[in-house]
Amino acid sequence: MKQLAVGIFLTASMLACACDAFAAEHVVAQKGKAFAVKKLSVKLGDSVKFVNEDPFSHNVFSLSDAKSFDLGSYGQGASKAITFDKVGTVEVECAVHPDMKLVIEVSK
Amino acid sequence: MKRSIVCRMSAFAAAWGVALLALLLVGTPAEAADHSSDKNSQGALLPRDSTDAKVFRGSLVYGNYCVTCHGFNADGNGRAARLYNPKPANLRMSDKNDAYFGLIVRMGGEAMGRSQFMPPWGAELTDEQTNDLVAYLRSINARPKE
Repeated sequence: MKQLAVGIFLTASMLACACDAFAAEHVVAQKGKAFAVKKLSVKLGDSVKFVNEDPFSHNVFSLSDAKSFDLGSYGQGASKAITFDKVGTVEVECAVHPDMKLVIEVSK
Repeated sequence: MKRSIVCRMSAFAAAWGVALLALLLVGTPAEAADHSSDKNSQGALLPRDSTDAKVFRGSLVYGNYCVTCHGFNADGNGRAARLYNPKPANLRMSDKNDAYFGLIVRMGGEAMGRSQFMPPWGAELTDEQTNDLVAYLRSINARPKE
């Protein structure tokens, strides 16, 4: 029984690792008070890293049902990442610069 | 939802616009008489440094930058408030003075020992915008005086 439990645990761990191996990290720069792209398509489980290339702080957040988050403020050269674990449309904004918008489509 | 927010922002700006227009119209005869003898006058009916002008400009700064978290009523119930615990400050009931408002706006919440989610606005807002915003916050403060 104990061996069966260990076996299940190991199998689950391997599956989890395999899923992680397929997850991609997308990089979106913020420069000139704008996201480098206006739209981005990602797969479920992918993450997006936001890199601040401006000489001032950005504060990326979203209020979308598919993913609500606030990455807080971060300065030049810093980056923050977020993983998307639900299918849907995520509208990303910057709290400091209201004109900055990015739409991320999360699909299976 | 987003359209609703935009409409509400437009209504907010429009309301201030109407209020300003009313101020300008109401002030016209008396002000015109004053300005007729003022060679330095540029025709502005609200002096740039007047409290009313600062409050008006500050309301625009607030509507553009602060409303997302602190809300249209400045009571801490903005559309993003649900992301935070504790929620954004109720600025109408704040007991902080103008100097504190200026500091936390410029330096952000974390530098002041408050929420890390209050961004530092020092690089985004000019000193005038910050001072105008402080004037606006003072004008709407409803905390009973002790």
